[in-house]
Parts: sequence; structure tokens; C-alpha cells
Amino acid sequence: MIKIQNLKKSFRTEEVETLALNDVNLNVASGEFVAIMGPSGCGKSTLLNIIGMLDNPTEGSYKFSDHEVGGLKERQRTELRKGNLGFVFQSFNLIDELTVYENVELPLIYLKMNKSERKQKVMAVLERMKIAHREKHFPQQLSGGQQQRVAISRAVVTNPKLILADEPTGNLDSKNGIEVMNLLTELNQEGTTIVMVTHSDRDSHYAHRIVNLFDGQIVTESQNRAMEARV
Amino acid sequence: MYKNYLKIAWRNLKKQPFFTFLNVFGLAIGMTGAILISLFVHDELSFDKMFADSDRIYRIDTDIKFGGAEMESAQAAAPMANALQNDFAQVKNTVRFRTKGSMLLRKSETNDNSKELQTTFVDSTFFDMFGIQLLSGDRKTALTQPNTLVLTKTAAEKHFGIKNAIGQNLLLNNTDTYTITGVIDDLPTNSFLKDYSVFMAMAGHVASRENNWGGNNFYTFIKLIPSANADDIKIPLASMLEKYMLPWAQKYFPGMTGESFAAAGNSIRYHTMPLTDIHLYSARESEMSSNSSMQNVYILSFIGLFLIILACVNFMNLSTAHSLKRAKEVGVRKTLGSNKTELIQQFLIESGLIALISLLLAVALSITVLPLFNELSGRAISLPFTNPIFWLILFVATIILGLFSGSYPAFFMSRLMPVKTLKGGSHTSVGGGNIRNALVVFQFAISVFLIVSTLVVFQQLKFIQSKDLGFTKDQVLLINDTYAAGKQVKAFKEEVGRLGQVQSSTFSSFLPVPSSRSSSSFFEEGAIEQDKAIQMGTWYVDEDYIPTLSMKLIAGRNFDKQHLTDSTAVIINESTLKRLGVNPEAALGMRISEEIEIEKSKFFTVIGVVKNFHFESLRENINALGLFLDKSTGTLAIKLKAGDFKQTISSIESIWTKLAPGQPFSYRFMDDAFNTSYDAEQRLGRIFMVFTILSIFIACLGLFGLAAFNAQKRTKEIGIRKVLGASISQITYRLTTDFLKMVGLGILISLPLGWYTMNKWLEDFSYRIEISWWILALAAFLAIAVAILTVSYQSIKAAITNPVKSLKTE
Repeated sequence: MIKIQNLKKSFRTEEVETLALNDVNLNVASGEFVAIMGPSGCGKSTLLNIIGMLDNPTEGSYKFSDHEVGGLKERQRTELRKGNLGFVFQSFNLIDELTVYENVELPLIYLKMNKSERKQKVMAVLERMKIAHREKHFPQQLSGGQQQRVAISRAVVTNPKLILADEPTGNLDSKNGIEVMNLLTELNQEGTTIVMVTHSDRDSHYAHRIVNLFDGQIVTESQNRAMEARV
Repeated sequence: MYKNYLKIAWRNLKKQPFFTFLNVFGLAIGMTGAILISLFVHDELSFDKMFADSDRIYRIDTDIKFGGAEMESAQAAAPMANALQNDFAQVKNTVRFRTKGSMLLRKSETNDNSKELQTTFVDSTFFDMFGIQLLSGDRKTALTQPNTLVLTKTAAEKHFGIKNAIGQNLLLNNTDTYTITGVIDDLPTNSFLKDYSVFMAMAGHVASRENNWGGNNFYTFIKLIPSANADDIKIPLASMLEKYMLPWAQKYFPGMTGESFAAAGNSIRYHTMPLTDIHLYSARESEMSSNSSMQNVYILSFIGLFLIILACVNFMNLSTAHSLKRAKEVGVRKTLGSNKTELIQQFLIESGLIALISLLLAVALSITVLPLFNELSGRAISLPFTNPIFWLILFVATIILGLFSGSYPAFFMSRLMPVKTLKGGSHTSVGGGNIRNALVVFQFAISVFLIVSTLVVFQQLKFIQSKDLGFTKDQVLLINDTYAAGKQVKAFKEEVGRLGQVQSSTFSSFLPVPSSRSSSSFFEEGAIEQDKAIQMGTWYVDEDYIPTLSMKLIAGRNFDKQHLTDSTAVIINESTLKRLGVNPEAALGMRISEEIEIEKSKFFTVIGVVKNFHFESLRENINALGLFLDKSTGTLAIKLKAGDFKQTISSIESIWTKLAPGQPFSYRFMDDAFNTSYDAEQRLGRIFMVFTILSIFIACLGLFGLAAFNAQKRTKEIGIRKVLGASISQITYRLTTDFLKMVGLGILISLPLGWYTMNKWLEDFSYRIEISWWILALAAFLAIAVAILTVSYQSIKAAITNPVKSLKTE
């Protein structure tokens, strides 16, 4: 699903050029659950942003389902992203002015789906995430765990092929964190590909494969033994 | 999708009441100003267009240069109208007005007079010319017979109903009996006839039938045939001089030719003035009604435009500053698949919504302040609620305004990158700072420009009011229409003179404030040649005139009851003296005559020279003037001693009611009457002031919002600085100076502009101030002071916050 070859990303300020990603090669197969780990500033988020088509690489090639993404215009990236990708953030990034229902509905609106279909999909995903009883609440009225469940609902409501999670448990206590990880695992088992950036060893153990990044380069890749054991 | 946009827009507005208030209120104030100004300008531009064939009606104006005097008259000679109609096929119709000013009207059998402010003789073609319908009476015969008149509805209703007014008699000024032959509707407030209520048949006016080409006392209107235009009448008009005027003049100056007339520096030129241009483009002597000027329309339009731009600038500034808070939403929406176009749409819908809410508020505000505005502008404007076009324009303008002011924030925000906005939360830096700063500079440049203009207008007005005018206008009470007392006028003056509070009093219709005027050509004895004429104002006064108005004689003496020969005496002013070309002492004893025919000559002997006094507005130079001793009882001017004026006025009123029962008692103070000459300037000054305050207010709203935003953005920085030992005053200073730099730049731009523009405006005055440096300094100071007040509240608030709190928001 994801083929990354010789990818480079540099940021330029007036005087200094910083190389955030240096010659990264990474393939992610359909149905995989990959965790990207590494210390702060190693380039994890930059890589995730590029995979999520929020950012363009400076050099190299990134193919998403055989579409070359590098060099696409913003409008084209938006089109490719719609419905194919779901995002889960550490800080949830729900829109405070919209209710739970409306937040989850938003990606469907951008897909120009009609109202009854939207309603059916939103309610189904909310039921599944056990948050349907809160549909009329605003994000500020929910606990962190509930907010992240809403965010995951929003990420999956379009049935995306790929979910990108950026430290999804970073702002949660361990109980809620485990719950979120279980949800992601469940989605993965249903066939959704997941790429997750994390600091947490616990979380990384949910993945099939761990990619370690250091100073913009992939230093190790390891199959997850725990997973292997489970599989 | 649009529903979603509207929903989130509405919730955003509700959630940020402070910013919403600043935005909506600023826009609404700008819109209110623009609505009021548009209505006013529309009213100004609509003058006289309601009359039938108004585009084919012209007034004949006369430019005269004669006897050292120049006059641009709105009138023509009595026979002009007939000559034009008889000689030229292009002229379809003509009408003449001979205005008579105010008059007292009463039913023959009663004593109670009512005063009509503007009355005029008019030709019977009046109705056809302007397409005026009669409410009652016969348009074919009304105004054809002498001593008949037509009244407006309001004037008629003071005495009779509209229906039974026909055939009734009215006594004018207690002397002439007129029969009412028609009633017309009140004339539109946006027409040159707006103040006129009594129309008397020209048939009864003797001078209207005389073949006198020398006097220009008739407002003459012509209507051209549809195929003709003003250019077609140019040559015919020019030919009138050779054909009629010169042959008439040769009766008095035998041997005078067009060449010798011109060689003496004299000229007479006739022009056409389109009816619909009179209100905005005509500023001639003795116009039929007070006109406005296109300059004022431009000035006001610019101010209206300024206000709207200021309000839009505010909106852009606040919205982009505020976008910091919206950055996360933009990021989320983008990651969820919204593209730029959709985001732009969303923000435009939001600004459209704000604009519409502001419109509602603006309409409400307009309704509330309209009466005040009417007072300010001297109009009777109303909101055209029933006119769908008005609403359509308002709505479309609002949408355009919303889109325009929303465009910059929308494009600005839709460009935010999700990668940057999502990660950091609230401490993302928001760009566009330079543009925001430029907008603040622009706002203050406009505000300071308006402050300078206001100060200059008021300085000039103050200068006019305090200038040595050559007479004293303070504590002088004017009793109007005293002629109505008839034979009792003398007794009235005597009894008033006995009141303890009265210093002296004088009868005259001619005063150095708006009142009667007349003028004539005079010749020095033995010099009756057309090139020696002196065009001189002729004022009829009594012997108390000069002392009562504290005028100064620089040679000779005042009129004296003891000198029986003073009925043929004249006191001239310095301007006449200059025309005579002698020194004051030498002028005494000179004899001048007004009659051109030598055998009829009646000579007046100069007995005194009065120091020049300003009898017209300070826009004009002082012309030649002569005071003559004659009975002229239009107004009694009373010089009062300091004290309780109210008491004195009521004493005078009781004397009046005793001597002139049934006659209206009305008075004014001379300084007030003087000020009415500067109505246009006063009005301009007040309008400037109001809109200056508005514009500063809008600019401050914006600055206030921006300061709040800035303080918020720098919360962390302020916290760190405080931890490191910065004092509250240092931080306040730091936050405030940033804004003051922008205000300062705005001032630098606007001062030269204001100085230049207002110097142009002052050029209209013969007697004017120079713009001194302190006016500019004061304007700059005011702007800085207001800006400091606005910004420091937010700055101090931010500076005194406990750093522990502000750092926690990280």
C-alpha cells in the first residue's frame, strides 16, 4: 500500500537547513499495523505527515496504492486523501464548536454524501465506539478517553484504507490508553492498515512491526515478537 | 454543507461575544454612516428632477461688470423672457419669478396675521412650465388677473380649507387685497421652490411690463423644445445684448457703442443654468433658495466611503488576528478532506453572516439617529422603507461588503498548513502581521486627516465670529416685520426706547446680516458717463443706525434730525470712497446722483464716511455702500444693556401687542442672524465632527481588539519577561509602543495631506486663517492620546497578570 523510496525532507530557515528525513525507505503492506518509534526530533511526525499527505517530501518517491504522491498539488493531495485516510492525533483535534455527532459527520460532508446516509454511518460508528449516548455533547464536555473515541470514530467513519495515528494515547491515562489501543487493533484485524507514531513501548507492542527512527534515518526494523506469538 | 458552515459560524460568533461585538458594532457604525450619507447624497442629487421636462428647463443668469462692481446674478431683465420666446423658435415656454420675501397674510375681516416666509410674483405660465397641478381652482385662469394669488396647501389651511379657499380675499402686509384663485400641493422639499408658499399673479406687477434692460430683478426660466439643447440657445442669448440691451442704454448714454461699453471695462453676459444643476452648481447672488454645492456632496461621499473602508479594515484586522483561535479548526478540516475552496467559502459565509447582522443593527441605528442627522444636515430625509430598490441595494451592498471584508481573512486562513496548526495547539504564529499593521496605519491616517479638517473648519468659524466686523453684533435684538405696526411704528420705537434695558434702537430693513438689499448705479456730479459709474449698495436707515450698531465714522458726521437737508445726504463707506478716488475729507460735500437722465437728477451730498464694515459673508469683499436717511421700518434693531434679556424681550412684546394687536411678534439676536450666513460652514463643521468621532471610534475598536489579541499572543513572552525581572511599566511600555509606531506613521502620512486639502478649502474665503502648526500638533496629540488610552488598558491588564498563570497556559 505504501512504498517509500529514498525519501528526503529538509526544512530551510534563513540560515540553516535542517534535514528532518534522510533517505528513508519504507514499505507498508495492506493490512499491516506499523509503529514508528524514536526519540523527540527524530523525524517521526514529519514522516507521518508525509504519509498522511499533509506535507510534501523534498526528494524521493512516495507511492500510495501505486499513485505517486510526491510533487502533487495541494488540491490533488486533498482529493487523494478524502475517504482513503483517517487521522488520530495526540491532542484529539476535535472542533470545539461542533457536537460529537457533527464532528464525526464532517468527513462525510466533504465526501458530499447525502444526509440520511451520513446519519446511518455516523450512528453506526458511534454505537460501535460506545459513545452514541454522547452524540449531542460538545468535546469540552467529554473526558479525554471519550474525546479520543470520538476522534477515532471520525477517522474511521469513511472506512479508510489507512489510519494514521500520532501518539494516540499520549494524552490519556493507562486505562483509556489501553482501550484506545484495543480499538485500533480491532480495526486492524478488520483489514484497515495502521501506521502509528508512538513513544510508548506498551503501545508499540500492539503493532506487527516497529520502525525505529533516529536523526531522520531508519535505524532498525523489527517484527514484533509479541505479535508473532499472538499470530 | 452550507448548513454546517452557518452552524459553526453562528456558534463561533456566540462563543466569542467580545470579538463578535467589536466586529459587528464596528461594521454597523460604518454602515450607519454610509446609509445616512447615501440618503443625503441621493436627496442632494434629486433636486428639481420631479418637475415636468426638468431636463429642458434652464434659468437665464446674468454676469454684469459695471461701474467697478462685478455681479453674478441669478436673475435677468424683465423683458428678457418675452424677447426670447418671441424671437426664437427653440424656446417653447417661459416663466418669471419676482420674489418678495416674507409677507404677512390675513383674512380681510380679521386682525390676526400669519407670516409666510417666501412669497413671489409669478407668470401665469407657472403651472405648465413645471407641470404643477392645482388641488382646486382653474389652471387656465388662475394667476392671469392682477391681485390674484395661489397658495400652497399648508398656507391655505392656515386660513381656509383647501376647497373653500377659492374666491376668498386675503390682505397682504395689511395693505393689498388679493383673491385666492388656486391651491396647489406643498412643493417638494428637494426643489428650488421648497420654501415658497404664496404665488401672486405677475399681471399685477408694474415693473414686469416695463421695457427695462438695465435692472436684473426677474428669475427667468425657459423651457426648450424637445429637439433643442442648451448649445442652441447660446448664440441667441449672446445676441440679446446688441439687439435689446445696447439700444435701450443708448437712450441714456447717446453715442455709446458695444466697443466703448467694453472699453470702459464693462460687460454683460447671459448664460443658461440647467434647472437640475441649480442646487449643486449655482452659487450666485440672491438665489431663490439656499443651495448646496457639489463640493460638499463629494466631501460627504468620501467621508462615507472612508467610514465603510475603516469598518472593513477593522473587520479584516480582527478576523485575521482572531484566526489564531481558528487555526486548529482549519487544520482539522483540511486533514478531513476539505479543500481550499471549501474553506474560503466557509469563511466568506461567516463574514457574510456578520455583515448581515451588522446591517440589521445599522438599520436600527439609522432609524434612531435620523432625526439628529436631519437636524445636523438641515433636511427632512426619511428611510425609504417601502421602496424595494432601497432594500435590494442595501442587501446587495451588504453582501459585497461581507465578501470584500471577508476575502482577506478567508484567503489568509485557508492557506494555513494543517501540519503547523494541529501540532502546537495555541502557540502557532499567525502571519499577516505586516498587512494588519499597514491597515492600522491607514485607519489612523484617515482619522488624523479628519481631525485636522474638523479643527480647521472650527478655527475658521471662530475667526469669523471674533473678527472685527466694523460693527458690534452682540446684545443686539432684532424685532422682525415691524412694518406690520403700520402708523404705530414710531410709537413702538419710542416706547421701547424708554425701557431701562434699552441703550438705543434703530429702524431699518437693511442690516449687516441676511436682510434686504438693494443697489444702484451712481455718478459723481458732472461725470455721467457710463465708464464713471459706481455700482453702490443703497441702504435706508435712520439717524440712530450708526450709534446703535457701534459703527465708526472716519470723517464727517452722522445724520441729524436738526438738519432738514439730510434727506438728500449720504454717508458712504470706504469702498465707495476708493471708487471716488479721493481722501475722506475731500469726499465731504461731493454730490452724487443715481438718475441717468440729467434733467431728473436728484443729488445726494456726502456728509460722512463710515469705516468699512462687513455686511456680507466673509467669503466676499466689502463692496461700495451708501447709507441714506429714509423711512425703512422692516426691522427694529435694539442695542441692549447687559442684564436679563428675557425680561426685556417680554416687556417689548407687551408693547408690541398693545400697539400692533394681531400682528405676529418675532425676534432674533443679531449674532445668531450673523451666524446663519455661515450655516453651510457650521453644518460642514458639525458633520465633520460627527464623522470624525465615528471614524476615530471605529479605528479604536479595531485597535482595542488588536491590542487584546496581541496581549494574548504574547502571554507567554510577558510571563517569561516578568520571571526574569521586568517591571509592569516596562512591559506596558513595550506593548504600547508597538502600536504607537503605527499610529505615528499614520500621522506622518495624513498631516501634509490634511494641511494641503484644508488650505484649498480656505481659499474660498476672502478673510481666512492660516493653518498654524499647533492645529497639526493638536491633531497628532489627540490621535496619540486616544491610541494610548485604547491600547494601555489591554497592555496593563496583560502586564499585571501573575506569570505563574500565564506560563501555565503553555
